[in-house]
Amino acid sequence: MTAHDMAPDNSKRRHRHEGKQKHIIAFIFSIVLTLIAFVTVASVGEVNPTFTVILLLVMAVLQVVIQMSYWMHMKDKGHVLPIVFMIGGVIIAFTAIVMSVYWVWW
Amino acid sequence: MAHTVKRHRGIMDWLTTVDHKKIGILYLLAGALFFGIGGIEAILIRIQLIKPMNDFVDAQTFNELITMHGTTMIFLGAMPIILALMNVIVPLQIGARDVAFPFLNALGFWTFFFGGILLNLSWLIGSVPDAGWTSYLPLASVDYSNSHGVDFYTIGLQISGLGTLIGGINFLATIINMRAPGMSFMRMPMFTWASFITSALILFAFPAVTVGLILLMFDRLFGGNFFYVPNGGNVVLWQHIFWIFGHPEVYILILPAFGIISDVVSTFSRKRLFGYSSMVFATVLIGFLGFMVWAHHMFAVGLGPVANALFSIATMLIAVPTGIKIFNWLFTMWGGSIQFTAANMYAISFIPTFVMGGVTGVMLASAPADFQFHDTYFVVAHFHYTIVGGLVLGLFAGLHYWWPKMFGRMLNEPLGKVTFWLFWIGFQLTFFIQHFLGLLGMQRRVFTYLPNQGFDKMNLVSTIGAIMMGVGVILFLVNVVITSTKPKNLGNDPWGDGRTLEWTIPSPVPEYNFKQTPLVRGYDAWWKEKMEGNTEMPAAEPVGSIHMPSPSILPFMMSVGLFVAGFGFMFAKDDFGNTALNFLFGNHLIAAFGLLITFGCMFLRSVKDDHGYHIEPEELEQKGVKA
Repeated sequence: MTAHDMAPDNSKRRHRHEGKQKHIIAFIFSIVLTLIAFVTVASVGEVNPTFTVILLLVMAVLQVVIQMSYWMHMKDKGHVLPIVFMIGGVIIAFTAIVMSVYWVWW
Repeated sequence: MAHTVKRHRGIMDWLTTVDHKKIGILYLLAGALFFGIGGIEAILIRIQLIKPMNDFVDAQTFNELITMHGTTMIFLGAMPIILALMNVIVPLQIGARDVAFPFLNALGFWTFFFGGILLNLSWLIGSVPDAGWTSYLPLASVDYSNSHGVDFYTIGLQISGLGTLIGGINFLATIINMRAPGMSFMRMPMFTWASFITSALILFAFPAVTVGLILLMFDRLFGGNFFYVPNGGNVVLWQHIFWIFGHPEVYILILPAFGIISDVVSTFSRKRLFGYSSMVFATVLIGFLGFMVWAHHMFAVGLGPVANALFSIATMLIAVPTGIKIFNWLFTMWGGSIQFTAANMYAISFIPTFVMGGVTGVMLASAPADFQFHDTYFVVAHFHYTIVGGLVLGLFAGLHYWWPKMFGRMLNEPLGKVTFWLFWIGFQLTFFIQHFLGLLGMQRRVFTYLPNQGFDKMNLVSTIGAIMMGVGVILFLVNVVITSTKPKNLGNDPWGDGRTLEWTIPSPVPEYNFKQTPLVRGYDAWWKEKMEGNTEMPAAEPVGSIHMPSPSILPFMMSVGLFVAGFGFMFAKDDFGNTALNFLFGNHLIAAFGLLITFGCMFLRSVKDDHGYHIEPEELEQKGVKA
């Protein structure tokens, strides 16, 4: 490959590195989320169990969003198809599981 | 920097290849082998049913035959031939030099192949799967099926399913990332679109069956209770899991055929495909709806009227995008200068035949009517119309159409037409009459029937048709042999009317596919250039050295490992009457050894850096002369 071909690639790569700071923030944020979850579970007896479950679910959803958007680059350009496929997969898996469980056990 | 690569020759070349075209040919060979086995099973089934109270095979053997016929044809016959065409053609149609993950591509083939071999070795070992291709429980549980038959089914299909899943992911990555400059999604040929959606269906559907098979394997081999009712398991759960996979599977089978038909019909009508964007839309919609209809296989289970009604409607909805496709093919032909080549005869005959399969499909989708049709030969006729009259005709069309591109030789046309008529008439004789057998009340999966119920003559006709189909397939093989003796002297575009990128490069295709990546300027890229008077595609890059992946034996070894491990797990509890063997199998040593091979190869692959090699421009020139 000639130097001419490489040039646009390099500029793209430099562009990607600009998100370093955001990555550190995301990293700290996911650790904080994990800590909150741990502390809530650890303080059995002091916190209402129902509250623990709800909080855990909320933390889990937030965690997934952060992991997906920052570490899996879902927020970046050119990731439309992976997002489409993930949503598609979630819809299909969700339908299949809910329907089967509903018919089999209720 | 890439090092010089050791080039293998002869059989080692085929065992180590990561070239998508060679892997495609391997898929074709393996598919043909299993298709042949499944075909022989079909003929034996029909011979048994030729007259009432026949004793050609006994009931047990008959159960084994129908189970293995269905399983082999779907998983090991049809799927690999589809993957063969996808492998060879899709990278060419999008202007790529290979698939996204060539190593994985080889791994996908070899796991599929060894899974299939494991399943079919059941015939030699003597305990054959006999619970039907759907392997419903409790029939498939240890209580009712205590030979190793169903174990072969669960383990063989897991290993081969792994290969299919790998293939599907590979094609998704390839089509998303490796399109040539200018090849936007809405300029992709229909076969590539169909392969794309099929791969997505594979990605979403195969995990379901893998989970199901693992649960069934745990029930059978390790004393699990997922489907064991006395301990709280549920047998209907298996049906859900199986059909959540099983219904998308039939669209995995038919969508590539839709793609092939679209390309073949438009080429041989010398017209742009009518309604291209609606074709794309219909394909996507069929793919999506395909996941929302699985319970129509379970109307008779007793899900209740609301569920049955919902799934009836969802199923009938699929007829809409399918109808769009049918009319688009008709309008593509309308006013075209149609050439009746063998490929096009298969493609054109596909349309009415598939419509018949679709119409009976809508009949079956109506839940109240389904209570009448359920488990009769009407259902057998329906799905053979969609799979044989749909998929197999599509595959034959595709094979005739792309054979010159794959092998550099044109299949014999007159012989191809004779084959077509034999196969097509045989097909109609076999299965048309089965609709009426079903309506008269003949049940599926019965190994024989009493005389004078009105079944006798119809079954005879059906068997005669099956034998005609068999002769047709043998003629096709004769055609292949005759063709292979002819010289390789074809140009880039042997049909003269090629529309897509695969017809811009030599036949057979050189290992690097495109000397220069083409620049795509519109839908039907090659046709567009031809209409503007160009004799070759504009290039998107200067001639340069081409980066190629290195061949590797690791995919083969990994699959051998899984194959060995499969046997190890299956026979762990058997008594061989031999201390050494009992020790080896009983302690899972054989299984561990197999897994060690597989994981060892994975470890090797991870630590060994292999950057592939380069083909330099001077080498391209030498090869260019030869091609």
